[in-house]
Amino acid sequence: MTTNLYSQADWAAVTPLFVVGITALVVLLADLFAKRHSNRYVSLLLGVLGLGAAAVICAQSYGQNYAAFGGGFVLGGFTVVFEEIILLAAGFSLVLYGAIGSEERMAGVVALMLWGTSGAMLMAGAANLMTIFLGLELLSLALYCLCGLAARATAREAALKYLILSSAASGFMLYGMALLFGASGSVALSALTAASVAASPFFWMGCGLFLVGLTFKLSLVPFHVWAPDVYEGAPLPVTAFMSVVTKAGALAVFARFAYAALPSGAAAHLLLPIWIVAGASMLVGNLGMLAQTDIKRLLAYSGIAQIGYIVAALAGGTSQGLRYAIYYLVAYTFMNLGAFAVVALCSTDKEEGSHVAALHGLGYRRPALAAAMTFFLLALAGFPPTAGFLGKVFILATNVGSGYAWLAALLIIGTAISLYAYFKVIRAMYDRAPSHRVVDVRPVAPLAWLSLAICLAGVLVMTFYPLTPSNVLPLVK
Amino acid sequence: MHHGMGVDGYYPLLYVIWLLPLLGAVACWAFGPQLKRTAGALGSATIGASFVATLLSWGAATQSAGGALGAHAHLFSWMPGWNFGLLLDPLSLLWVLIITGVGFLIHVYSIGYMYTDRAIARFFAYMNFFVFAMLTLVLSDNFVGLLVGWGLVGLASYFLIGFWFHKPSAVAAARKAFVINVVGDVAIMFAIFIMFSRIGSISFGDVFAHVDRLGSLLFLVCLCLFVGAAAKSAQIPLHTWLPDAMEGPTPVSALIHAATMVTAGVYLVARCWPLWNASPDAQMLVGTIGGLTALVGAILGIAQWDIKRILAYSTMSQIGYMIMGVGAGAYAAGVAHFFTHAFFKALLFLGSGIIIHELGDEQDVRRMGGLMKKLPFAFWCMLAGVLAISGIPGFSGFFSKDAVIYGMLQHGHPWLYAVGILTAGITAYYMFRLFFVTFLGEYRGTVATSAPGAGHAGPGGRPAHAPGWLMAVPVGILAVFATIAGYVLIGGGASPWSRFFAQTFPPESLPRPAIGEGLTTVIALVVVLCGIGIAYLRYATKEALANAPARLARESARMPAPLVHLFYFDDAIEWLFVRPAQLLGEIFGRFFDPRVIDGAVQETAVSSQWLGALVRSAQTGLVRAYVLIVVFGAACFIAYYALAGGVR
Repeated sequence: MTTNLYSQADWAAVTPLFVVGITALVVLLADLFAKRHSNRYVSLLLGVLGLGAAAVICAQSYGQNYAAFGGGFVLGGFTVVFEEIILLAAGFSLVLYGAIGSEERMAGVVALMLWGTSGAMLMAGAANLMTIFLGLELLSLALYCLCGLAARATAREAALKYLILSSAASGFMLYGMALLFGASGSVALSALTAASVAASPFFWMGCGLFLVGLTFKLSLVPFHVWAPDVYEGAPLPVTAFMSVVTKAGALAVFARFAYAALPSGAAAHLLLPIWIVAGASMLVGNLGMLAQTDIKRLLAYSGIAQIGYIVAALAGGTSQGLRYAIYYLVAYTFMNLGAFAVVALCSTDKEEGSHVAALHGLGYRRPALAAAMTFFLLALAGFPPTAGFLGKVFILATNVGSGYAWLAALLIIGTAISLYAYFKVIRAMYDRAPSHRVVDVRPVAPLAWLSLAICLAGVLVMTFYPLTPSNVLPLVK
Repeated sequence: MHHGMGVDGYYPLLYVIWLLPLLGAVACWAFGPQLKRTAGALGSATIGASFVATLLSWGAATQSAGGALGAHAHLFSWMPGWNFGLLLDPLSLLWVLIITGVGFLIHVYSIGYMYTDRAIARFFAYMNFFVFAMLTLVLSDNFVGLLVGWGLVGLASYFLIGFWFHKPSAVAAARKAFVINVVGDVAIMFAIFIMFSRIGSISFGDVFAHVDRLGSLLFLVCLCLFVGAAAKSAQIPLHTWLPDAMEGPTPVSALIHAATMVTAGVYLVARCWPLWNASPDAQMLVGTIGGLTALVGAILGIAQWDIKRILAYSTMSQIGYMIMGVGAGAYAAGVAHFFTHAFFKALLFLGSGIIIHELGDEQDVRRMGGLMKKLPFAFWCMLAGVLAISGIPGFSGFFSKDAVIYGMLQHGHPWLYAVGILTAGITAYYMFRLFFVTFLGEYRGTVATSAPGAGHAGPGGRPAHAPGWLMAVPVGILAVFATIAGYVLIGGGASPWSRFFAQTFPPESLPRPAIGEGLTTVIALVVVLCGIGIAYLRYATKEALANAPARLARESARMPAPLVHLFYFDDAIEWLFVRPAQLLGEIFGRFFDPRVIDGAVQETAVSSQWLGALVRSAQTGLVRAYVLIVVFGAACFIAYYALAGGVR
């Protein structure tokens, strides 16, 4: 074994991951020495600093194209954009936890979130089966712990459910990877593109099992069943974390697989089930929202539908579709996290304010907060001229243009259903009738306000200037 | 960006011009109770500042940079082809100067006029909002922004016509104006749909550079745009809202229904000249409608007794001239008439506002008379306005009206030429009728104007017949401009006016018509003098003045029925559109809606609730159920891939 097996450039490519991972260790160490009542801020500050540093390093590597570690981790515009989305969502979730989470577990949560983040970042750049699995499991292990953190029976239940079901999905995925390796004789995704591979039945079965695992992480129908329960049980900031980071990581893997790892000609047949489940997610997710009384469950279903839209953008395999998917993912990040921030602001220490009834009359108690929530919900529903609307129009256009009009039709039907569900929440906020169950807004949560403002600015900026599609999309090569 | 419109440069002062009035509106609205009457000063100050900023932008607006004319400021880009920005080129510069300049004078005047009104802050909030909306309309560099402004001015107009919402007639008039204006908004929307589907852009520059892509739809686009223009500019048959709109306070009539908003149609046609130039049919249509409106408005003006309604019909008639001008291809002339009209019509309205104010809200000219002695200031100002609108040499209206009339001949429309000359005569007749009946003879009313505060609440107990300087100064300034504004047109092709618009409108090299410009002037002048002569004989001779009450009563009794019924336009609209629409509404409201629409909605709601419950019922919360679902899904996947792989 030589010392120069990997060059300096290889290590430079994964520096952001290491920065995030090592920050987690620093946070844990610092917690040992920090004063009792200041450790919340120490952990939070260190965590956000680490994420910020990683984001800066990441941004600096923008424009480089390099396959590090023999093709295990590919650096490029695609990777950087996904890494930045993940870092942003992670930072946001940290701030949210700092605002409403419990004091004594702060350092542990921050460390776990950071490790999960580095796993998701690994997924963003992973280009062989081993790194994909490594990243996925790093993320999942952190999430198992995070889900069970809250001192509630539902939290423990959620963690256990997630552990069992996710392990099963990982099993499917690992078995699929083994078959893919059997078909191509290599762990590299690029090896799958060979024409000879497509003839192998191993390859097809491997793809099927691999995609089952991936679809589970994306929480597409019918592998979505875990999401509402887990979202409801997990602490609110962890739910926010999962709703973006897990999906972004899995989406990066799926997009790389769909765009760069399939033998030409086989892609349409290979991926058809994915488009079908994406379409089904739009319907089931939006229908599922109708009957919900818990806002976190409602957002879980909403997320199922939204990820359906995003995956649908990739149908057709055009580079335009990929850009639109990323545009919508960024928009979804802001809209969704913004909604979570509002819910966080409506929560108290005892109760996470996740019942829709807690929002009753919010428009009169906290008009600004209700206005922000209305805006996020309208954006999620796809009202013009919000970023949500733009994203949907783009996805519709690319679907119709590439011969997947039926996906476009499902998107429209799903959106129509979702309007009803989102408006139910908005109506509740502006309901004058006194509710039997009004939880007052937590007195001071400046950090949550801050994250709310960031999301609001994010959606607004994406809607208007300068992050408009024509400006932001060329960033993704 | 092509076609000389929308430079890629960046001129931030445009934001200031555009947003200052909005700031004033918001401040007057939010702090109305605190501001009280200072709201007027605040509102006026923001408009005045906007005017100054516009003057400062003169150089940038009239210069060419990078082969394109005017100053540009980007707002934001939306989807591809949807770029929003502001554009100040000579055409919009002219409009912005009038909107903010004349608007400022009217604002100052309003402080005096609305002094005793308790809702003065609300009034200025609306007025400033109107100016903002109007600026949005003319500063926009694209059709969608223009339509937004178009809709907003309609809204502002609705607020202001219905300002005295305790009067049912004001509310009805506001509603009528709004509905007719919305007809126009929808028409413009359709034009935008067509243009976007064919050209793929909403910006003026892109659309005008690719007019050829519209193909056979060009006429339809022009027609839709013109329906919008006709609704806003009170052209036949969409003019019926304008006389009713006089229910609003008089400064509103001056600002919205004379100087600015009603000329938006002229702006639209002038702005879209590349479309009209490419479609002679559309030019013919617009020119003819404009000419007809000029004539009909003038004829209806003869039969009115309400001073503001006379002015309303004269506005309609004068805008007919402008539309005729820009429609038939004489763009610079049509726009010039807008320019002079803004001064003299605002002057006439504000002058009549002084009279109305002093006479305790009396608007019927039959109960006026002899005001020359009582209100000498109003007399001299109104005289300047009447001379200007009648087209007497030396006054502004003369130059611009002449240019329009002669332009008709140049562009080969002899019939419109004749209509223009005839209308000029009728205009002179009814304007001098108004003037003689109002100012000469003996006072026929009941208000003791010399007594302070008699008949109406005189502000602060000041003498009711002397306008405060707040009202007098703006009127005086307008009188000066109504006199001299036309001088920029002297010099034909080398006039300052022609040079100002040299790069905006297409260069004209027209054949010399058989009747020269000098002869046209003489003919028009003779006809105008005839009109004045008839008015003199009927209303201003010694005998006529002595028996004025009896003669006026006889005239109103013998008024021909078509004139009394305003040529039955309202009745026609009532029977052709309103009644059928009400019937249709009745049918839908009684039968279709409750059974079909509501039924479908109910059914959808019930079934989606049911489906939602179905989805929820799968969510039992039991891990074994979830595993079952996951395994079932995985089995489906495996089956598919086994088959798909096997088939290959």
